[in-house]
Amino acid sequence: MLTANMSEHKTEVPYGTLDLLILKTLDTMGPMHGYRIARRIEQVAENLLRLNQGSIYPALIRLEQQGWIRTQWGVSETKRKVKFYSLTRAGSKQLTVEVANWERAKALVARFLEAES
Amino acid sequence: MKLRWAAARLVALFRKRNLDRELEDEVRAHLELAERDAIARGLTPEEARQAAQRSFGGIEQMKEDHRDRRSVRWMENLARDFRYGVASLARDPGFAAVTIGLLALGIGANTAMFSIVDAVLLKPLPFPEPERMVRVWETLPNSLGNATTTLTFLDWKRQDTIFEALSVELPTRAAVATGGDPARFPGNLVSADYFQVFGVKPRIGRTFAPGEDQPGAAPVVVLSYSFWQTRFGGDPGVLKRDLALDGEPHRIIGVLPAGSFDRDEAVFWKPLIFAPDQLNRGPHWLVVVGRLRAGVSLEQARAKMTVLRASLAGVMPPWKKDWGFAVDPFAQELVGDTLRRSIYLAFGAVLMVLLIACANVANLALAKGATRRKEMALRAALGASRGRLIGQLLTESLVLCLLGGVAGVAVAYLLLHAAAPLVAASLPFTADLSLDLRVLGFAAAAAMAVLILAGLLPSLRTSFSKLSNSLNQAARGSSGSSAAVRRTIVVGEVAVSVVLICGAALLFKSLAQLQQVDAGVRIDHVITMSADLPSTAYPSAESAARFYEAVVQRLRAVPGVEQASVSLDLPLQGVHYGEGMSLPGVKGFLVVRVKLVDSRYFGTLQIPVESGRGIEGRDRAGAPPVMVVNRELARHMSGSFAMANPVGRIVNIDLPGYGPIPESTANVRIVGVIRDERTGELHAPQDLVAYVPLAQVPRQDIKLVVRTRSEPAAVMSGIREAVRQVDPRLPLADVRTMEQVKERSMLWAKQPTWVVGAFAGVAALLAALGLYGVLAHAVTEQRREIGIRMALGARPGDVVSHTLRSAFSMLVVGLAVGLAGAFALTRVMKSLLFKVSALDPIALAVACLLMTLIGILAAWIPASRAARVDPMTVLRDEG
Repeated sequence: MLTANMSEHKTEVPYGTLDLLILKTLDTMGPMHGYRIARRIEQVAENLLRLNQGSIYPALIRLEQQGWIRTQWGVSETKRKVKFYSLTRAGSKQLTVEVANWERAKALVARFLEAES
Repeated sequence: MKLRWAAARLVALFRKRNLDRELEDEVRAHLELAERDAIARGLTPEEARQAAQRSFGGIEQMKEDHRDRRSVRWMENLARDFRYGVASLARDPGFAAVTIGLLALGIGANTAMFSIVDAVLLKPLPFPEPERMVRVWETLPNSLGNATTTLTFLDWKRQDTIFEALSVELPTRAAVATGGDPARFPGNLVSADYFQVFGVKPRIGRTFAPGEDQPGAAPVVVLSYSFWQTRFGGDPGVLKRDLALDGEPHRIIGVLPAGSFDRDEAVFWKPLIFAPDQLNRGPHWLVVVGRLRAGVSLEQARAKMTVLRASLAGVMPPWKKDWGFAVDPFAQELVGDTLRRSIYLAFGAVLMVLLIACANVANLALAKGATRRKEMALRAALGASRGRLIGQLLTESLVLCLLGGVAGVAVAYLLLHAAAPLVAASLPFTADLSLDLRVLGFAAAAAMAVLILAGLLPSLRTSFSKLSNSLNQAARGSSGSSAAVRRTIVVGEVAVSVVLICGAALLFKSLAQLQQVDAGVRIDHVITMSADLPSTAYPSAESAARFYEAVVQRLRAVPGVEQASVSLDLPLQGVHYGEGMSLPGVKGFLVVRVKLVDSRYFGTLQIPVESGRGIEGRDRAGAPPVMVVNRELARHMSGSFAMANPVGRIVNIDLPGYGPIPESTANVRIVGVIRDERTGELHAPQDLVAYVPLAQVPRQDIKLVVRTRSEPAAVMSGIREAVRQVDPRLPLADVRTMEQVKERSMLWAKQPTWVVGAFAGVAALLAALGLYGVLAHAVTEQRREIGIRMALGARPGDVVSHTLRSAFSMLVVGLAVGLAGAFALTRVMKSLLFKVSALDPIALAVACLLMTLIGILAAWIPASRAARVDPMTVLRDEG
């Protein structure tokens, strides 16, 4: 009941930013598995974000195919074999690109909003 | 980056199952961890499980998303269409079988033909730096290449700034006695650096060393790989052994590698050692092959040879003052103009057959497409994009083309196996007919071309025509525009077939003309064979002359033999010797062919004497030298020497000596004129021939010509026995009837004719099949209409003529377009036609008539089926 109420104030993950969130997470935290990445994003967002944890997996496979992250097999806290994801060199370069893109987009939107008001 | 991403996706496609399992594991681990954390927050295990799943979101949707992201959608579609295509073909095995059969035929014939084109015309010669290999000739004033003399060859050989290696190439035969009946094998007499010309290294042993072609060198021989295998079982010990050639031991020094030289006629090579009295500029007996020095271009070589010819003007006989030297690429000489044209012609013809096969397949696909319109419309209505529908239809075509291509390669393999022995004799020895990677590549390309030609159009038509209309349409009713396209395709097929049939008709007419050329000799009931008198058994001219006399006496005594004779050359095979002939005291000379024959030659082949006398028994060694000229030579003599009747005149001419004895000039009296016989090929202009008594000028390489009363084959054993009685160790070779000799002389014309004829036949059949298909389809679709018309009083005859008229309209347009094409295309075969214009009206008319007949036959079946339509049944069915 409580969760349902709260979720009304949560926002969806802004379009196209999930990649940026994952890359930034891996950049600050180092190698980690899927669940930890999802939890970390939720924690940083401090319940401001409504994230379907499952949606990070399609994003992860795409980032891997682009060569921005790599995977290694490791063992989880529940003693299960899981994939650990970490940033590649190309990935950290991509992160700066994405951050710059985001800054530009934010500035652009901000300028429009200022002009309107 | 792009590439890496594409590669990763491709890998993902093939690792699909693995990746799915990995994802499954990851999801399970994720949920476990989430549950554990929830339990740590104080939830019950059941609540924890639900919370974990809630925050994870839809698992199945995520998986689908995951698959989409990682993989290549169209490839998965392709794989699915492929399976679907195979399944849909399996549902209609008749359509599949006919289509694959057509494609296999088209692709197979093309692949086999391409393998010939590739081996003969496209691939470089199988020797290192083949562009440096040349033929060197003396040339007649009309720039025709001619063999050269010993001293001139040696002059050439000294030009080491031009040639790296220069060798003669003189075909020979030798009896090889290795137990059993003596057999004669073909070989080549060559210079020591012959194999340097070809750049060929021996498989075992060595090739000739410098000096082994000089007088006094020990006799040595090099064997071909196949001869080594068949005669010596591939025993490497042969290098220590001798091979007796005509009874004379030769040390075997090497064996050539397998390959080109196995397709050459020769099985052994031995050095040609010039005897002292052969060192002259008399007989033109040497054919020369050479390798240019590296860096010397053909033009440079030609220029230097022209300079050399000018410097030799003083030593050349005066009658050769307009002769020159020529250097030609070896490859060009290997593949004559006629062969090149024939091959291109056959390839063009077979491409047209493929085109027609494609048209038929397209037509079939269109007909099938018409029946599938509803399926397509339904799928489109359910949301399939046009692109997807075209993709699906193309994939089905792809399946057909792949199967057709594979079957086509099998057909090509069978065709090549069947045809190789028939055509091998007409192809150069360097041509290796095999289905190698290049040929398979061609087959693949052909299959792709078929896919585009035969697959694209029908799939575009099927999926772009108004699909919604199809859904609304009632079950009956023909799709008008599709029928028009199919009729156009049939018109095209008829047109292409007409072009082919016209070409074939012209070639057949040309062949008939060639066959009608009067050979000037009676060729029925004549059997011929060749023999070589070995120098060991027949050391002198007298011993050879005694043999001729004895063998003819024996042969005439054989029951069934009417007449027998000995000569040096057979009709239609050309005359070995050519010499300059002059009249004492008269300026000018004629180059004539010198044919050596015995006294019974004219009688055996029934060549009548026109004036004077023929060659008689009294014209033997020691008697006054005589000759008989043919009518053509008599005609030229009256022109060149202004003499009314050559009989009785004495001429100067060089005549060959026996064995190594050089030729010498003789004063010879002309005693008669005979009617022309065809000494050379049937289409060639008549030679000027001087017949000289063989008894006065004996030679060792002779032909026996025997006229029999009954079937020649029945008398052959008697003939062999007669020769054995004269010389038990003399092997006979090239046993052929005169009819076979004539056939062989026409091979150059026959092969392209039959090949193009066969392709034209196939093309006409395929076009007829296409016509039949369209008409049968139309009759099926119009059954209701036909039924109504018959119910209203149309007679069966009217119905038949209606269908035939429809066929006729297609045929007429096809014939018109085809004739226009024939006018444009038959020109390319001009040089292959003998006494027939490339636009011969009769041949073209016959071709059109044939196509019309075939077309009407094809139309008759659906027409008569239309006439049998029972109005009652049809109207009740559809009512």
